[in-house]
Amino acid sequence: MDPSERPMRIGVYICHCGLNIAATLDVEELRRFAETLPNVVVARDIQFTCSDAGQNTIKSDIAEFKLDAVVVAACSPRLHEPTFRRTITEAGLNQYMLEMANIREQCSWVHMDSPALATQKAKDLIAMAVAKASLLHPLETESVPVSRDVLVIGGGVAGISAALDLANAGLRVYLVERRPTIGGYMALLTDVFPTNDCSICVLAPKMAEVYANPMIKLMTYSEILAIEGTVGHFRVTGVTKPRYVDPTLCKGCINECSSVCPVEVPNDYDFNLGKRKAIYMAIPQSVPLVACIDTNACIGCGLCAEACPADAVKYDQQSEEFKLDVGAIIVATGWQPFDASRKEEYGFGRYRDVVTTLQIERMLNAAGPTRGDIVRPSTGEIARSVAFIQCVGSRDQTVGNPYCSRICCMASLKNAQLIKERYPDADVAIHYIDIRAGGEGYEEFYLRAQRLGINFIRGRVSSVEEGDDGLYVHYEDTLLGKTLMKRYDLVVLSIGLEANRDAEVVGNLLGLSRRPDRFFEIAHPKMRPVEAHIDGVFIAGCASGPKEIQVSIAQGSAAASKAMQLLFKGEIELDPTVAFVDRDKCIGCRLCVDTCPSRAISVKDTAFVDEARCKGCGTCAAACPVDAIEMRLFSDEQILAQIRAATAVKGEYPFIVGFLCNWCSYAGADLAGTSRIQYPTNIRIIRVMCAGRVDPSFVLEALRRGADGVLIAGCRIGECHYVSGNLHALQRAEVLRGLLKEIGIDPRRLKVAWCAASEGDILARKIEEFVDELRDLGPVGTELAAALPSGKV
Amino acid sequence: MGGEGFTEEVIRLAGEEIRTCIQCGTCSSSCSTAHLMDNSIRKLIRLVLEGRKREALASDSIWLCTSCLLCTVRCPRGIRPKAVVSALRQICEREGIRSKDASFERIFMDQIRSSGRISEVLLSAAYALRNPDAAVPIMEMGIELLSRGKVSLDPGSVSGMDEIQRIFREFENE
Ligand code: SF4
Ligand code: SF4
Ligand code: SF4
Ligand code: SF4
Repeated sequence: MDPSERPMRIGVYICHCGLNIAATLDVEELRRFAETLPNVVVARDIQFTCSDAGQNTIKSDIAEFKLDAVVVAACSPRLHEPTFRRTITEAGLNQYMLEMANIREQCSWVHMDSPALATQKAKDLIAMAVAKASLLHPLETESVPVSRDVLVIGGGVAGISAALDLANAGLRVYLVERRPTIGGYMALLTDVFPTNDCSICVLAPKMAEVYANPMIKLMTYSEILAIEGTVGHFRVTGVTKPRYVDPTLCKGCINECSSVCPVEVPNDYDFNLGKRKAIYMAIPQSVPLVACIDTNACIGCGLCAEACPADAVKYDQQSEEFKLDVGAIIVATGWQPFDASRKEEYGFGRYRDVVTTLQIERMLNAAGPTRGDIVRPSTGEIARSVAFIQCVGSRDQTVGNPYCSRICCMASLKNAQLIKERYPDADVAIHYIDIRAGGEGYEEFYLRAQRLGINFIRGRVSSVEEGDDGLYVHYEDTLLGKTLMKRYDLVVLSIGLEANRDAEVVGNLLGLSRRPDRFFEIAHPKMRPVEAHIDGVFIAGCASGPKEIQVSIAQGSAAASKAMQLLFKGEIELDPTVAFVDRDKCIGCRLCVDTCPSRAISVKDTAFVDEARCKGCGTCAAACPVDAIEMRLFSDEQILAQIRAATAVKGEYPFIVGFLCNWCSYAGADLAGTSRIQYPTNIRIIRVMCAGRVDPSFVLEALRRGADGVLIAGCRIGECHYVSGNLHALQRAEVLRGLLKEIGIDPRRLKVAWCAASEGDILARKIEEFVDELRDLGPVGTELAAALPSGKV
Repeated sequence: MGGEGFTEEVIRLAGEEIRTCIQCGTCSSSCSTAHLMDNSIRKLIRLVLEGRKREALASDSIWLCTSCLLCTVRCPRGIRPKAVVSALRQICEREGIRSKDASFERIFMDQIRSSGRISEVLLSAAYALRNPDAAVPIMEMGIELLSRGKVSLDPGSVSGMDEIQRIFREFENE
């Protein structure tokens, strides 16, 4: 119903909440007050509004009084807004025709000693709610059809796990892998901790399953070139590179072609320990089992084509572009090993007998270059003494990797055990700073290693030197307090895991954020472990930081299940509380584009908000210099109406209007309430979704209408629910303070505060402080009056 | 004994990162004179953090550091152990504490006075004679180095010896 056609009809329900509200506030007085407010046709005070009886009263009133909107003055909207939205929907109203006045958490519970002032404040809160309610519009939740297909980027164990779960649930999956085979690093490992089962034995069946599953389209040797669109409809372009072998013809015999190939190059799948030919199969268990020609090595002699019995070698194969339309994307781009030659003092690349974890994995692997023998690469003899050096490229500021790579302790414990089991007489030592064995069965695994006679030496190795007869390792045994030097045949550098540089392109295409450690950032470091900041994008495995195999698998499954939840219905509901652009007003300045943390705005001639992406923070609306962006809920006019209603009476001094962000500060105020932390009654709080929503005009309006101070409170810096809204708020406040100064208002009347949802006490203290500060400043306008000799403002 | 104030002072002088030391021993095993030190540079940092002022200031290590900075280059926590040494030297100076064994400095100075430069071999040998504890590892290493011609017994001398002598004389007259 358009309010311009006829006045809104509003019902107001004041809750006693037993005695929680009624003991402090005069609820009957509040009801009588509410009855006098414009547009209010019925007001009641109710024992428990959220009870069935309470809700039924509202429902029957909606019918009887033909209500257009409902105001419930009770507890926090963060608690019962969903309840009352349901109530009014059941009575035939649009769910957005509800406004709540928080007279419990923000009033009766925090001003228990000043009932009269608290009642006055409650009146203001109710008047503000009614003012906003008078401007509410019904909003329709739109459902849009989405693609149920999912793109999984990366065919390591996390991507495989995600792809299989999705496919088994009946969703179509495109699995895109850069290399000629899937399997990732796991396919190259020997036995894996903590059970010491053979890595490829457990992985190969999964790889085969991927290949066989009709719901999975496997695209190896392929890369993503472009990603457009948003959740539900990502339009993806990619390319499959030519392997110069026809996958439909190749039988995977590989010996026929590779045995005639005259070119040998270091085998990258053995980390350059062994050699391979220019035409090669990455690993014997490659999926797909199709040969591949390395164009950097191939000399074009044509021998392989002649030798191939299936006529599969095709030198004229072209790269092929593909286009996909997917509803969700799972980023499982994995990691890259730390380049050990960056730690020059350890001599990797200079001394042949200094190797890395991955090389020792290949040596230990029965299918590897040494067929399972642990040898000194310099002589080919079996190594009689082996040192593992931990934390190479991890926990190390000198290479910019302060983080722990999480798996290296366990990997070395495992490899040391395997060596000791194979060569019981070998002297095997692990030079460590701390042994981190925090997982199921991990500490027991450590125990087992100790029992096997592996020597644990506590102290980080400072350098490795090559002598005539072996490698000399320098360290301080920090438990003995002695600086020592020890000789070994072989030194294994436990290299750390780094963010995969090759994944940067995909990250940039999607707009993923990165942590300082360069791994992709997840939406919440605890609560949303596989979600990206971008809707419809999930991150699994080592793309978001070092992880063990089992965690990567779990994350792959978790990401798959998130994607399923999102796409299963084949349509998604768009939250209608988003931003929209008035195209007549928009001047195309693009200020909003960079402001939007969700990258929801694009500008052609005028700005356009992608409603599927917009999260409704309102930062853009506050940033737009010509007010061309408006919010469907928390609109400018609604908030301005709240400000005017708040300042209509100005029943106390100093008088503060506060804008609190829904997620942290407003929640903090709620916590102050539930914890009964008492603070002065001087503040009237307006809820906004984000501190970034606060338009300078709101602040100016509040001050113009006689507020002595304005408080903007949001999440602590770095914790904004929308990533950067609070930073925008901060910036804007700086500018605004300058402006206030220019127009003769003391800039200290605008206060900015950061407070977490758990910091009710901090918020209460900030309010207290602000009240004191404003008392010192005097009523608003004091400074103007002082500046004008006439005393007139 | 005001240990806490001591910790704070060293941290102020040598950097906040000291608190993040993980006692890994990279500094001490990188240290060129660690084999001569009573407390390794790593342990010195622990003593500082524990506020054990007397032990820290009494440590020889403070005076044996040659400022080669290998510790500082390699520390994985970005700590500057050398700066800790400097801080301790500064505090010693203020409090009038000198190396309990000034022999190293004396030998060092004597060599400079006579030849204008240091010979590692002669320095170590002379020092070892007065410090039997440190002698064995030094000799072992010395013999090995000598046998491979890595060091020479003859320190040689520098030009401008007159100038050096003059500096010494002037200093002593002060
Ligand atoms: S054409 Fe290339 S891949 Fe084939 S045998 Fe010759 S060098 Fe090897
Ligand atoms: S800034 Fe916030 S409200 Fe505006 S478009 Fe972006 S997410 Fe939506
Ligand atoms: S290298 Fe750094 S972290 Fe390690 S013991 Fe020395 S000061 Fe501490
Ligand atoms: S600077 Fe001093 S403490 Fe550091 S390694 Fe060199 S000699 Fe040792």
